[in-house]
Amino acid sequence: MKSITGNIAIEGKNIVKDFELGNTMTRVLKDVSIKVLKGEFVSIMGQSGSGKSTLLYILGGLDTPTRGTVSMNGIDISKFNDEKMSKIRRQKIGFVFQFYNHIPNLNVEENIMLPLLLDGKKARDYRKQLDEILEVVGLTDRRKHTPRELSGGQQQRVAIARALIGNPEILFADEPTGNLDSATGAEIMDLLRAINRDSGQTILMVTHSPEAAKSSNRVITVKDGMIV
Amino acid sequence: MKIILKYILTNVKERKTRTIVMMLSILLSTVLLFVSFSIGTSYENAQRKMARGIAGTATVSVSPKDVNLVVDLNDIPELSSVQTKVGLLKGSALYHENGYYETTDLIASDLMLLNQINKPRLVGGGEINDFTGNQIILPDRFTSKYGIEKGDTVTLQIGGIPTSFEVAEIACYDTVFLRHTRGATALLPKSTLGEILQYENGYSEILIEPAMGVSTDELIDTLLKELSDSSLVVSKIVNETQIATDARQKSMPFFLISFFSLTMSVFIIYSSYKVITLDRLPIIGTFRSIGATQKTVTRILMLESALYGCIGGIIGIPLGIGALKLILQGMGDSLSQGIEIPVVITGTAVLLSFGVAVTVSMLSAWIPVRRASRLPIKSVILGVIEERHMPNRFIAIIGVLLFAVSVILPNVASGGMLYLAGGFSLLGLIVATILVIPLIANLLSKCLERVYAVIWGNEGMLASRNMRDNKNITQNISLLFISISAVIAITVVGNFVNTYITDVFNGAELQGFADGEMNRDFVGQIEKMDGIEKVLPVYVFNHEMQCEGIVFSRLEATDNLKWYNSMLNLHYTKKDMESFAVSEFSKTRSIVLSEDCLKRSGFRIGDIVTLVNGVGSNSYAIVGSFKSRATDVEAIIPSAYAVSDFGASNYNFLAYTAADPDSIMVQIRDLFGSMQNWSRTVEEFNTDAISTVGAFLKPMHSMTYFILLLAAIGIVNNLLINYMQKRRTIAMYKSVGLSNRQNIKMTLIESFTSGMIGAFVAVTVSYLEIQTIFLVAGSKISMLPELDFKVFLSAGAMGVLITLIGSVVPIIKSRKMKLVEEIKFE
Repeated sequence: MKSITGNIAIEGKNIVKDFELGNTMTRVLKDVSIKVLKGEFVSIMGQSGSGKSTLLYILGGLDTPTRGTVSMNGIDISKFNDEKMSKIRRQKIGFVFQFYNHIPNLNVEENIMLPLLLDGKKARDYRKQLDEILEVVGLTDRRKHTPRELSGGQQQRVAIARALIGNPEILFADEPTGNLDSATGAEIMDLLRAINRDSGQTILMVTHSPEAAKSSNRVITVKDGMIV
Repeated sequence: MKIILKYILTNVKERKTRTIVMMLSILLSTVLLFVSFSIGTSYENAQRKMARGIAGTATVSVSPKDVNLVVDLNDIPELSSVQTKVGLLKGSALYHENGYYETTDLIASDLMLLNQINKPRLVGGGEINDFTGNQIILPDRFTSKYGIEKGDTVTLQIGGIPTSFEVAEIACYDTVFLRHTRGATALLPKSTLGEILQYENGYSEILIEPAMGVSTDELIDTLLKELSDSSLVVSKIVNETQIATDARQKSMPFFLISFFSLTMSVFIIYSSYKVITLDRLPIIGTFRSIGATQKTVTRILMLESALYGCIGGIIGIPLGIGALKLILQGMGDSLSQGIEIPVVITGTAVLLSFGVAVTVSMLSAWIPVRRASRLPIKSVILGVIEERHMPNRFIAIIGVLLFAVSVILPNVASGGMLYLAGGFSLLGLIVATILVIPLIANLLSKCLERVYAVIWGNEGMLASRNMRDNKNITQNISLLFISISAVIAITVVGNFVNTYITDVFNGAELQGFADGEMNRDFVGQIEKMDGIEKVLPVYVFNHEMQCEGIVFSRLEATDNLKWYNSMLNLHYTKKDMESFAVSEFSKTRSIVLSEDCLKRSGFRIGDIVTLVNGVGSNSYAIVGSFKSRATDVEAIIPSAYAVSDFGASNYNFLAYTAADPDSIMVQIRDLFGSMQNWSRTVEEFNTDAISTVGAFLKPMHSMTYFILLLAAIGIVNNLLINYMQKRRTIAMYKSVGLSNRQNIKMTLIESFTSGMIGAFVAVTVSYLEIQTIFLVAGSKISMLPELDFKVFLSAGAMGVLITLIGSVVPIIKSRKMKLVEEIKFE
């Protein structure tokens, strides 16, 4: 079990992000700095277009800042090349998206194992880990199904399992309940809270929902590209 | 309407890569189709020009039946249906230069009259003046070959006597100098050639141009009625039917290529439109939500496809003219006669090519457009479109059944049904393969999953997995299959035709032959020539000998059947038949028949048949049957009986073997002198045949590059579509840690595998198709194709290579992919 140690899981310093829209440049993030401690469950809230998702993607290495740094264990990962960043995504980071983002032609097991497979690991060496994670997300009986055969809630559970299989240092979630009805959304939040509580998994989540944010230890609000 | 047109034009401009790919495919197909339509007309025109040769605008020839006699201009009555009549003297000579002998036909005429039907054109222009005595006019093709200049003296062997001429003028290689056989034509003053041939009055032939509004057939009818002298033969100079048939044969392979290229274009446009309509769904939704009907949406999208067709057609036709010029130039240069084949462009060819370009474009787009327009408006607006899944198993079963029937049918069909079965089999194999490809791809990707996991690790396994139920991959394989099998079929059939036509004497012992009237003395002189080994003189009866109601197209008589068999490589139907026939030939009146003749006549070995010609008749026993590529003779009898029963006097054909066949041939031509003959060494004959056949096969081979180019375009298009449809999946992979390097590896493995499957399927099906082609054509040909494994292998390898190269485009695109944009929204 992981515990809150006070160490920094991820830190963004003076992050600036500009987007080019037509001929005009728009600044989406304005000198944002943020620290997430290991074991924390942090929610980022804000209105549409406030820059909260952009901040999450930059911290998660799916996007690069125009300026500023993103440090993980004291190392600036924002300047990493594709090879290094991909390795970080496979080994240190887990991502849960609003629209699940599964590979449609792979079954539940294969989708979950994907980060390990891409990391060159042999699937048979991780059978036990897979069984455990399927047990945690409650999908043991759905392991051979394809994503298309699952409900929205079940698909999001698969996404959570896939994010956790590599035992990441931090789990990023972008509106994980945004595509679900309230009951199913609540179940997913219960699951995330349990994972954070039981295994000390650091989670940084973007959400619109105050209900969902209640599950976290800390809430950060982003407005007009700044943390308020 | 203006807004809709603006919308369509904006679409065309915006989708640059896809538009270029579609346009290229339509363009290439138009080019190929235009070439196919025009090459036959152009060739027909050139062939007609060649066939007319000396005759020019004259269409009817009158000549004496006996080649030793002459015909006079006065023999032809003054008729209103005759525009011009021109007498022509014809002789032959031999030109010898540095060990090379060239047959030279000598012609002479009244130049005033000749100018009216076919005026010779001098190099550098000008008129022929003061053309008398031992002067000669030679074509530039001949003079440039031997470095002869105006004013030089050339020596020709005429009837074995060297005769010198001063080169008075050099003429262009056209008008009277144009030929459709090897050698050259030389123009002499009429009095000079008359003296050489010892024709005081009269001509070898009279050429007649019909009066305005009179057809050749009408003129012939009139002449036949008016000419009381039955010793004259009236004939058509140009056999239009034969020329048209010949031209059709020449353009047929191009139509075959066009068929393949059009099929590929349909594939490319269809798959492009599937994506275009998918891309446009939000816009279709908007149109529908503001009141556009299904018909309106269909019309807008179809108008766009018509625009692609129009642009492809408009650009494709001028490009086709350029391609045609290049092909015809190459064709003309390759022909030993070196004729220039003019580019003939007909309105029909232009309209048909343009029409097909637009129609193919619109028809290919029709299904995806119709499907998109018919989608429920709510689903379109909400973006909840589920792709309709066809029952794969049902399609695969139909495919397998059709495949099996296509393979079996030509093997069990016979007679007239064989052609029908062959046609069905060829088409059936293509359709069945396209239906079965998804099944093959799925099965193979399943098998390869483990293999690739061992070879290329998890990326290999995932790449193989990605190929399963992937429509773009199966479309790619289909496209590869069509293009590779087109290349293989064209190459194998082309090579076979080349071998078949140019190697007719393969296995035959003869090294040279002479076709002409030869008496015993003539043959005796050949037998005494230095270095001669075997001489086989033969009597020939062309369309003369009747046998129980049928006429043999050619019957030959020999006094040595054993030599005849080896000289012309006769294959007897049964093993002991040859020795039996040889022994019977020396004893009794015997006849051997070709297998085709035996089949045609319904005779059987052992039958006694009666042979009749105008001279006599007698009974002969059928003692054997044979097949031979070296001769088209239908029947052979002993020469002693040909003389005693049917009055054979002069030999008409002679085959020989010798230490130096060329030297013998020169001497034989010399012996013939001015007598009509067609004498060749086998080597000369083969070189001529290779040059003629090669001239038509070369452009056909070059068309395979068009096919490969089209395949490359189609494959890049499919890979791009695959990328576009998979970019979200690629983004998903990347979000869980797929690096660009891993993505490249997976893309290349997928491309390599689809290339391999395409090549494997194409090679297998091409093999079956070639078997079917030769099974159906088997009764007409007496040899089987040698299937060069290298052709199959290189065509397959080319397919794999094209797919690998094509995958560079999606690789570059996915490197530039904006990850967040792809995964953030559904």
